[in-house]
Amino acid sequence: MVQFTLPKNSKVEQGKTWPHAPKAGAEREFRIYRWNPDDGRNPRIDTYYVDTKDCGPMVLDALIWLKTNVDATLTFRRSCREGICGSCAMNIDGTNTLACTKSMSEVNGAVRIYPLPHMAVVKDLVPDLTNFYAQHASIEPWLQTKSPTPRTEWKQSHDDRQKLDGLYECILCACCSTSCPSYWWNSDRYLGPAALLQAQRWLVDSRDEATGERLDNLEDPFRLYRCHTIMNCAKACPKHLNPAEAIADIKRALVERQV
Amino acid sequence: MSAPKHIRTPLARVLGRGAARSGTEHFWHQRLTAVANIPLTIAAVIILITLLGRNQAAVAQILGSPAVTIIMLLFIFSITIHMRIGMAVIIEDYVHDESSKLTLLMANTFFTFAVGLAAVYGILKLSFGL
Amino acid sequence: MAETAANGGNNGSAAPAINGRAYPIEDHAYDVIVIGAGGSGLRAVVGCSEAGLRTACITKVFPTRSHTVAAQGGIAAALGNMGEDDWRWHMYDTVKGSDWLGDQDAIEYMCRNAPEAVYELEHWGLPFSRREDGKIYQRPFGGMTTHYGKGTAQRTCAAADRTGHAMLHTMYGQALRHQTEFFIEYFAIDLMVDEDGRCRGVVAINLDDGSIHRFSAQMTIIATGGYGRAYASCTGAHTQTGDGNAMVLRAGLPLQDMEFVQFHPTGVYGAGVLITEGARGEGAYLVNSAGERFMERYAPSAKDLASRDVVSRAMTIEIREGRGVGPKKDHIFLHLDHLDPKILAERLPGITESARIFAGVDLTREPVPIVPTVHYNMGGIATNYHGEAVTKKDGNPDHVVPGLMALGEAACVSVHGANRLGSNSLIDLVVFGRAAAHRCAEILTPDDKQPELPKNSAERALSRLDKFRNASGSTPTAQLRAKMQQVMQNNCAVFRTGEVLHEGSKLIHDVHKGIDDVHVSDRSLIWNSDLIETLEFANLIEQAVVTMDSAVNRSESRGAHAREDFPDRDDQNWMKHTLSWLDAATGKVIIDYRPVHTYTLTNDVSYIEPKKRVY
Repeated sequence: MVQFTLPKNSKVEQGKTWPHAPKAGAEREFRIYRWNPDDGRNPRIDTYYVDTKDCGPMVLDALIWLKTNVDATLTFRRSCREGICGSCAMNIDGTNTLACTKSMSEVNGAVRIYPLPHMAVVKDLVPDLTNFYAQHASIEPWLQTKSPTPRTEWKQSHDDRQKLDGLYECILCACCSTSCPSYWWNSDRYLGPAALLQAQRWLVDSRDEATGERLDNLEDPFRLYRCHTIMNCAKACPKHLNPAEAIADIKRALVERQV
Repeated sequence: MSAPKHIRTPLARVLGRGAARSGTEHFWHQRLTAVANIPLTIAAVIILITLLGRNQAAVAQILGSPAVTIIMLLFIFSITIHMRIGMAVIIEDYVHDESSKLTLLMANTFFTFAVGLAAVYGILKLSFGL
Repeated sequence: MAETAANGGNNGSAAPAINGRAYPIEDHAYDVIVIGAGGSGLRAVVGCSEAGLRTACITKVFPTRSHTVAAQGGIAAALGNMGEDDWRWHMYDTVKGSDWLGDQDAIEYMCRNAPEAVYELEHWGLPFSRREDGKIYQRPFGGMTTHYGKGTAQRTCAAADRTGHAMLHTMYGQALRHQTEFFIEYFAIDLMVDEDGRCRGVVAINLDDGSIHRFSAQMTIIATGGYGRAYASCTGAHTQTGDGNAMVLRAGLPLQDMEFVQFHPTGVYGAGVLITEGARGEGAYLVNSAGERFMERYAPSAKDLASRDVVSRAMTIEIREGRGVGPKKDHIFLHLDHLDPKILAERLPGITESARIFAGVDLTREPVPIVPTVHYNMGGIATNYHGEAVTKKDGNPDHVVPGLMALGEAACVSVHGANRLGSNSLIDLVVFGRAAAHRCAEILTPDDKQPELPKNSAERALSRLDKFRNASGSTPTAQLRAKMQQVMQNNCAVFRTGEVLHEGSKLIHDVHKGIDDVHVSDRSLIWNSDLIETLEFANLIEQAVVTMDSAVNRSESRGAHAREDFPDRDDQNWMKHTLSWLDAATGKVIIDYRPVHTYTLTNDVSYIEPKKRVY
């Protein structure tokens, strides 16, 4: 049976309350999930205070401010800080999103931050994405052709290129997949919205000549059909993409090729 | 640390036994029966409402009329297929132990057939007065 | 994902003791090790894998999170899809852009091979924007001209304004296709160099569990990117810490032309995130507080599409003379509101979003507040056009360092000279990533037996790691880093003077000394980001020191290095590359020079003689 409650050693406890910001002009409370595999303790929620006068507007700015000024052990991934690398995906105020593009002003009250839901945690806000990456690899995300390769580019019409819009922009942050209940229950067999969005990106690429094989490899009660159009993916995507629609398009293509 | 039970690459785990090359029929039938269920359910509800307060003979007469029989048979056919698919999906979603899953899927099928056949038998009996 | 190499052997001691602490080591052996999985790293990885070489890629972030992903505008190649074009014109523009400091053999190689490299990316599936006839769409970019400066070229191939993202994801797909072995979230600590000066591989730490890994390789390719984070405000990622450059310095090799730091004219005011030059390519323009399109005064013919150093200087002068916008009059407006919203949506969707999120501005209605922001390091590890690292040894300025290559922003080939043209960086990545792979295929034998590693090969890396892992001084890393960033921002900016640079040199050396007093709070082994940030800071400060001292040393103005006390280019004395070595212990910088390659690769084009650089 699916596990609906956390195992005993994963139950989240009340953690430490860190000191208030030294010269706080305007203070903001943060409640952040902490877990260090080294200390053998249960995960806990630490309370921090950020001096918003001394800090940029985004949640990532606040996390970096805390790491700089309060607690250097606070652990999270970050890189580009402009919403294109997908490193700082986490659950903020109950929603999966990128810390770097989520403004603190969008959150009411204390800012609650957890790692992406239902993933194994490596430490604090760092989830283990190994399975997620393998799922992306499994859809063979590269152009497959059989015709002789031209000396210049493969031609692609303006309209055909437009079909890739809304698909190729995915940054593999995993916000969508980890917001999907179906993925929570069946991430071992269901590919999840992110991988399927990429599958559709290659399915509709007018240059690709492996559409049939690609569809064959998706036609599976679990890989594809675990999508129950819950739509959390589309709601969570920080790049405003719509994986649910892409999945629906794959299903339609499968029906159309046999009906 | 105990020795790991399985050592497989992440990709091997994802690829598993490969795609089943099925599921589309299920998906299609679920949509198909969903569409069919709309008029059929409305018709069945109307029929049932007209049956309210009538005696057994009148009920038997109405249900025994060819048009009503056919509508009711179609209704049962469509709704049980839809029910079976829907229930199977729920079992597959939430039950992960392979043997319990197979048992429940079997039970689901048996239950569907039993319920469906019982209903069909009842309607046919009324219709043909067997 | 990581597996111990079967042929890794157990060279050296298995668990060398450093300060009484044992660090168990896992050994790996490959033909080629690539450090970094950005554009150039992935291109080299794919090429080497294709060539049948046993290749691994070590990267501190998952490949698609490397900063190539943030490149927006496009990749330059003379395809001629939008009108006539010629790689020789591209070469001329690049040479002029470099203010004649670029090596013309390498520039010829890049411009000549650019179209093929772009078609290759297209064949791998890169979703380029298209013309109506199905060919790749190309947009105008700063400094890109036709007929040797006479017309405006449309040479920059684009995938909307997400070209880097599209490119990086495409190349990651190719790497998957070739079953490349990735070591993801491994941080390279130091190179292993033997007595003969041959690079033998690298020592890295696995963030996931803190384990130490020793990779020996016939060829080590450094593709670790730039070090923009030495500055307080930069367009680059937090991870842009030039780790490879610093490893090279510590290996006793020089870095080249480190004084040349490019300021991108259009970083969003405050946030520092990038607004692509492609915006100006599509027709955007800059205005000052008087509402004047001031670039017409500074660059009468190219105007807003002049080279980046020119535009950044013009903006700085406008701000300095009181014509900046905003309450503090400290920035400039970039207008796109006159452009058709349909064009914005199709060609510039990414920056439309960035402007909304980071400046709170609706591009279709209002201008974006922008300011010149540190963007690119022209300097780096000196290489030839094969990607092989070179140094000056026994009077030979082109001495190849055996076993070591460098690519991309980490390298200084030098194709960008004193100033890089927009969209020339993506083409640099793929052309030289490809060249390096070709070179590896040519000079290496797959699975060739490697000589035993010297016994103490990992010692330098391990003592470095141990020092920081147990650092218990009184200054947190973040504090030192902030100091360094302020010094670089204040004392090594768009305009420089001897006085400010000398002060900067003193200040930056003080910060460098401060590292002995650094404090690391996190003592865990698993995902110790405090430790990694400290190692990164240690890398940054070494490059900052070298940058500052190289800038003090160069008494002329050329490209991005604008000395107010020496306003002119001085070809007589300074037509040469700076080489700077660092004595890591004392922080002393030693400077020497390499001649600029004033010759071309073939007779298809002749050497482009220096002349006054006017746009």
